Amino acid sequence: MSAVRNTIRALRTEQGWSQAALADQLGVSRQSVNAIETGKYDPSLPLAFAIARLFGKSIEEIFDDQTEAKLAAE
Amino acid sequence: MAQQTFKSAKKRYWRAFIPIMVLYLIATLAGSAFLLTFEVEPTWLQATIALACSLPMIFFLYVQIRYFLETDEYDRLIQLKGFAIGAAITVSAIFLLGFLQMFHVIDRIEVFWFGPAFFVAYGLSTYAIGGRQCLP
Repeated sequence: MSAVRNTIRALRTEQGWSQAALADQLGVSRQSVNAIETGKYDPSLPLAFAIARLFGKSIEEIFDDQTEAKLAAE
Repeated sequence: MAQQTFKSAKKRYWRAFIPIMVLYLIATLAGSAFLLTFEVEPTWLQATIALACSLPMIFFLYVQIRYFLETDEYDRLIQLKGFAIGAAITVSAIFLLGFLQMFHVIDRIEVFWFGPAFFVAYGLSTYAIGGRQCLP
């Protein structure tokens, strides 16, 4: 499981898009979108930028590596 | 566009895969049948038919690697993991069976069967990692 959490599922649902529709717009397979949403796979930087651009947000708004939470816990 | 690349990668794969398999079947079946017509097969003919049978599989490996390079990043990861595990299983079997053969524990093994064994191991590994959707 990835340590990087993301809000893609919520953003996608907000837009009323299916995984396949999002995959089409991002240029990846539906399996890729599913793997990213479920935290099984962390996208590359170019794909993360493409996702952020598509939702009109910054990468940090979508992906959270929980560094701050880890630092706070220490 | 990456999506076009992903979709065209699958299309390009299948467009190459089917003719390669047809050629392979023709070469192996027709080649074997033709060799049976000789009482003593000439070595040059045996070698030519062996080459004709191998070339489609060599080209298939090229098509497979081309697919890895053209597909999307997640699919590529799954495919490469499956390929690596399949290769590790096959090479392990080659070492084990090779030593068993060398020490006369088992009889001679046809080296040919390691090829199909690799593809079976690769397919099953990819299926185990990524599910049915991750097969090309």
